[in-house]
Amino acid sequence: MKEIEKLYDRIIQRVNINLRELEFDVNPYVQKLIPYVQMVKFYAFYGISPHHPLNFQFRSSNLAGSYFLGRCKVTNSLLYKSDIRGDELKKKGSLFRYQDYEVPVSDNEEIDIQDSLLIKTLVHNYSHDPETLEKFFITDTIAMNYANIHGSPSNGCFLGVFATVDLTTMRDCVIGNFSYIQAGEISHLNIQPGTIWVRNPGKFNFFYQHPVEQLNDYIYFTAGTPPQGLFMDFIEDRKEAFQRVFDMVNIEHTIPVPNNASLDRYAVTKGQTHIGENVLVSQRAFIQNSWLGKGANAQENCFIINSRLEGCNVTAHGAKICEADLGKHVFVGFNSFLRGRPDNRLSIGDNCIVMPHTIIDSREALAIPTGRLVWGMIKDQKDLETNSISIDEFSAIDSSASIGGLFFEGSGAQFISAFKDRIEHILQANGAFFNGSDMKGHAQKNQNISFNTIQPYPEGIKKGLFPTIIIEP
Amino acid sequence: MLLFATVVQAATHDIHHFAEACAMNYIVKDLMVPISEYATIPEGSSLFKAVIALENAKQELSGAIYPHWMVLIMGKNKKVLGKLSQLDILRVLSPRDTYTDKIDEMGKFGFSSNFISKMREKYRLRTTSLENFYTHPKTMNMNVEDFMKTIGENEFVDENTSLDTAAHLMFVKNRLSLLVTREDRFVGVLRLSDVFSTVLNAMLKVTHN
Repeated sequence: MKEIEKLYDRIIQRVNINLRELEFDVNPYVQKLIPYVQMVKFYAFYGISPHHPLNFQFRSSNLAGSYFLGRCKVTNSLLYKSDIRGDELKKKGSLFRYQDYEVPVSDNEEIDIQDSLLIKTLVHNYSHDPETLEKFFITDTIAMNYANIHGSPSNGCFLGVFATVDLTTMRDCVIGNFSYIQAGEISHLNIQPGTIWVRNPGKFNFFYQHPVEQLNDYIYFTAGTPPQGLFMDFIEDRKEAFQRVFDMVNIEHTIPVPNNASLDRYAVTKGQTHIGENVLVSQRAFIQNSWLGKGANAQENCFIINSRLEGCNVTAHGAKICEADLGKHVFVGFNSFLRGRPDNRLSIGDNCIVMPHTIIDSREALAIPTGRLVWGMIKDQKDLETNSISIDEFSAIDSSASIGGLFFEGSGAQFISAFKDRIEHILQANGAFFNGSDMKGHAQKNQNISFNTIQPYPEGIKKGLFPTIIIEP
Repeated sequence: MLLFATVVQAATHDIHHFAEACAMNYIVKDLMVPISEYATIPEGSSLFKAVIALENAKQELSGAIYPHWMVLIMGKNKKVLGKLSQLDILRVLSPRDTYTDKIDEMGKFGFSSNFISKMREKYRLRTTSLENFYTHPKTMNMNVEDFMKTIGENEFVDENTSLDTAAHLMFVKNRLSLLVTREDRFVGVLRLSDVFSTVLNAMLKVTHN
């Protein structure tokens, strides 16, 4: 047996040991999911820029098609076409605010991945755990296709396809397909697919579960079968467009990009696409026939097709927007899927918050008024009425509410305020407010990144494994 | 005042030790309810039969201080397969639908019990009416094996075990009863209520003296 196969089995075993209490066996989910030949085929690459820290350590791992930025350590792991973005990690000497504490950060933070299998997964942001400020760890963890591990240290977990864990430390948990979890700290939970859970203890608790039968049409993944459904088909149909950007060493953009905006060389643009000022388009984003107004951003694995975003829009990691018109300051959360039709477009008014993992897929024209909070599964006007509420009305909730399938306890005002603050922070971090001299963000800092590639052993017992590589400034 | 407090403290201390000595000289078989007097039903029985068994046991023990609150499900070879308490029966009879299931599950997501009760109340009307549900033939004929609690290895105690060890097991394992064995045979049930009343009687005896 080759080293890479042993490593695969070892990771599965380690995750299973962590999940034994939940009686969850990851083996049938991941065994033979990625042919070993694929792991040998793709190079890995990392970015260098004067604006980002540089420290990579790769040991006994396969990194096929994965991208690294910042400070990352990878040991005994398999990372397949994943993005490990360490460009928002905490800096030595900074202060981390947690409740009433201000904790000094004693060293530059690093992403530390050990004994884990990440498939087409995005790792980003920084550890929000006050107990592990300098290390954003991911150990004994398996994350499936298009999962997002965002500011969430993880130990002994399994994340299903399109699952997102955001600002949450997780231990020994199973996160179901297309679930979004933002809960601070969780352990020993088996969360069913399509669960949207946002909790800040003592302040608010937001909980919604997608109707499983309907969700299965979009994404279905169970033991023994590969991930399938509309989401997978959607991405598969556009896969070829990425082939060109990954195959070519030097690539020139075919559309004009303002000098204060950033279009990543690993992003795809097609047709009549407009990139406005202070716009950020990240790697693996796909923009076709769309207008991105000033300060809009399209993060990793986003698809924006035949749509218009007026400006200061956040399109979070993995979100998809088709045949839609979005006003200013519209937030579209992680992995959301918004689809109008060419003759029946979807329009979303200014300042709306579309919750992470929302599905709006309407064959009839839908117009969402200004200032709404939107969540869940929406296929027509009737669904929209039970899955949205004006932000002002939601802010007035002071104890509890249930609206359609949504259960909420706590302060609506605090919930909205937390989201608004975060949206503002994201826009700021992405450079949406850059004024020519101040307020630089990713859109300005990411313009001149050099990319180096690294390759695995092509044959022999170590075939597919990358040699130990240490890259420092 | 100080003298009075010291006397009370000393008396309490003595009572505690004396009561402990009296009560804990017992062994398990002195206090257990023999299996012949306990509420049992054979495997394959219906929910209705389990409810009747509990009720009959209550009547048969009308002289006793504490009625049985649990019925045992017996296998063919006189082995205990499982147990069913009044609480278990209520749990089984609780009307359910997808909403109530979801609300119950929400407990693990950090919602307050007040919120969960409120939501249950709100969505209660979605379910079949309680009367219809409890008396529905389908409900009453449910097989006990489908919802009984199986017996764990740590729920057994030998009949010659001292009462203080058995009491210790009860509070450490958080058990309201232990199944008593003689060698490999199941011979009775040691109930918390009987252990407690023995301790109480010993204490009362001391205070009367």
